[in-house]
Amino acid sequence: MLSYTIRRILATIPVMVVVALFVFSLLYIAPGDPAAVIAGDQATPADVERIRQSLGLDRPFLIRFGEWLWQILHGDLGTSIFTNLPVAAMIAQRVEPTLSLMAVTLVIAICLAVPMGVVAAWQADTLIDRAIMAFAVLGFSVPVFVVGYLLAYVFALELDWLPVQGYTQISEGLWPWFENLILPALALGCVYIALIARITRASMLEVLQQDFIRTARAKGVGQTRILFVHALKNAAVPIVTVIGIGVALLIGGAVVTETVFAIPGIGRLTVDAILRRDYPVIQGVVLMFSFLYVLVNLLIDLLYTVLDPRIRY
Amino acid sequence: MRNGAALVWDMLYGVDGKLQPRRQMVESEEVSSDGLVWTFRLRGGLKFHDGEPVLAKDVVASLARWQARDNMGLMTKEIEQELVAVDDRTFRWVLKKPYPKLLVALGKVGTPSCFIMPARIAATDPFKPIGDYVGSGPMRFVRNEWVPGAKAVFERFADYAPRQEPNSWLSGGKHMLLERIEWIVMPDPATASAALQNGEVDWWETPIADIVPVLKKNRNVMVDIADPLGNIGSFRMNHLHPPFNDVRARRAILTAMNQEDYMRAVVGDNALWKPLPGFFTPGTPLYSEDGGEILKGPRRLDAAKRLLADSGYSGQPVTCVVAQDLQITKAQGEVTADLLRKLGVNVDFAAVDWGTNAARRAQKSPPGQGGWQMFHTWHAGAVCIDPSSYTAIRANGDKAWFGWPTSAKVESEITAWYDARNLDEEKAAIARLNKAALEDVVYAPTGFFLAYQAWRKNIDGIVKGPLPFFWGVSKAA
Repeated sequence: MLSYTIRRILATIPVMVVVALFVFSLLYIAPGDPAAVIAGDQATPADVERIRQSLGLDRPFLIRFGEWLWQILHGDLGTSIFTNLPVAAMIAQRVEPTLSLMAVTLVIAICLAVPMGVVAAWQADTLIDRAIMAFAVLGFSVPVFVVGYLLAYVFALELDWLPVQGYTQISEGLWPWFENLILPALALGCVYIALIARITRASMLEVLQQDFIRTARAKGVGQTRILFVHALKNAAVPIVTVIGIGVALLIGGAVVTETVFAIPGIGRLTVDAILRRDYPVIQGVVLMFSFLYVLVNLLIDLLYTVLDPRIRY
Repeated sequence: MRNGAALVWDMLYGVDGKLQPRRQMVESEEVSSDGLVWTFRLRGGLKFHDGEPVLAKDVVASLARWQARDNMGLMTKEIEQELVAVDDRTFRWVLKKPYPKLLVALGKVGTPSCFIMPARIAATDPFKPIGDYVGSGPMRFVRNEWVPGAKAVFERFADYAPRQEPNSWLSGGKHMLLERIEWIVMPDPATASAALQNGEVDWWETPIADIVPVLKKNRNVMVDIADPLGNIGSFRMNHLHPPFNDVRARRAILTAMNQEDYMRAVVGDNALWKPLPGFFTPGTPLYSEDGGEILKGPRRLDAAKRLLADSGYSGQPVTCVVAQDLQITKAQGEVTADLLRKLGVNVDFAAVDWGTNAARRAQKSPPGQGGWQMFHTWHAGAVCIDPSSYTAIRANGDKAWFGWPTSAKVESEITAWYDARNLDEEKAAIARLNKAALEDVVYAPTGFFLAYQAWRKNIDGIVKGPLPFFWGVSKAA
């Protein structure tokens, strides 16, 4: 197990190198010029050229890539072209809101979606099942920003229960922190809830047909225990897998959710950096997200052994 | 950027609501009878946010930094014989020829504005951003609360010494009645609207026209015009490549285009726009319609088609670059594409984002090799009041703004404006300039339009202007 974990962690290194090369190349060939954006609308072409030179953007691809890779190997993600701030500091500043949003979304989604899927499987082909699956279809179909606007309109503007926008750091209190995240987490979580609920239902339906469930029933085990202890644990592997895959959904959805609820997180940092062609920031953020995604998948793989002792690495 | 900077950094002069430069950091100035030697004395008690006094050497260094980036700054640099600090509060500027617009240059609202910073910061390469945000303005920048692209915080600078005159735009007493300003960036207008209605923010700088009716219905919100100087919509044609290297093709476009179509697409609301048969901001002293007949009256598609054919256009693709992420450029681009198709032009509609647009417009290569023939933008009315910051009106070929127009007439009238000794001479020069720029079609103006601002009713003291002026603004509980 330990050697497997070490091997997997080591395997992330070539993955990160490929990601780094891919991102750098993509940005190099993508149209756009940060110098033109920095120079502003009144700048002359000569001003733009001068800024390009001062930023070193006129140098050959390989030299720039080599320098950047050397920086990365020394733990330095570089400096933002626009703010002149270290990229690592900018990411650190934005990471709390995004991780908070993802964590709250994850908790809300799992707490709602797993019971929904279990109940849907238990009550398969009844009105309850159909209602839950109808919700799942809706969750898949309605875009995050529409759900976000609806939630903000009802719970913030009409009922005045929750704020429309913004983020409060957790150090300023648990409730102010949570209050700002409820609506965005629900909006972002909709598609995630739908996904987990559907997979839970499908997986549970299969497990509920197994012989050991019949045996448990014959031995007089209660329905709740059968569903949430015996069946759910055996149905857990695909559910955990989809939760892991869904992290990518959350990363993508966070960009929209952070925009709709004006949360100063990594998603907005990424969009702003792309629009302004702030290459070091884009590269830093993509590398960080890639690492996060690889890490989550590793954790999921390790979790399989806990959920199913038959799995060995 | 400029709007936040106006809080943190003070200026030697500042324009008032009548566009006249007034003393701000300067206590007095003297000019020699030949107009060549200017001696300025700073007000006493001026301090930077780090507690250091503002000295003449800081001003000299700041002027040098500004000169490298500003159109008028470059002109002053070219005719400069000497710029020196005489003592702690006095500096002298010796010119090789008179420059009557010197105070306009130092107080103008158009970017780059001439902000004063400590000499050690002003020494930064003018083409690189500064990393230390110390000014001597009425508010200090709270760097540790800055989230770039999301939030900037300013706190009142207790040692700021405002002038005694009433404030007017960038001039007069900048008395701060607010202790703290949180400048929040909300990319989504619907969220900003909801936040304003919910009382989570107090002032919204640029509500979009579609949302204004909702805000007007809210009894806690005020809505009014933001900037009376507004904006001028425009698209530029590339003077280097066919068909627009021929003035007849450019005139064909002006002959056919209908500014009403553009303005309805950009702002819709009739109260917010007017046609603009010229290049200068309506309602300002130098506004002119000389030569504007080509943009007035019923549009003449047949005449335009004939002009286009005379220019030698025979169906080659015309690359029209349109940034889709900015509503103003997107709306104008759609109208232009429709106009071109009506004229029988083979349109190559390049839908891009602003970042790509900004890079592509700098390409001088032929359209088939990464270049372009048309792109859309707009200019702040505050910039278009005169030629001082108005780079888009220049027609000095290679050195001109994107599109690289060449017109000796236009350039000579710009020089005439700089040399003008009084308002009548200035008006005459601008009238000739307007006519020449339309004849040679430096660019195509699509109309003049205004925008709204909105604020909570417990906020008092908000004025109309080219940027949000926070001095004199107060907030009731």
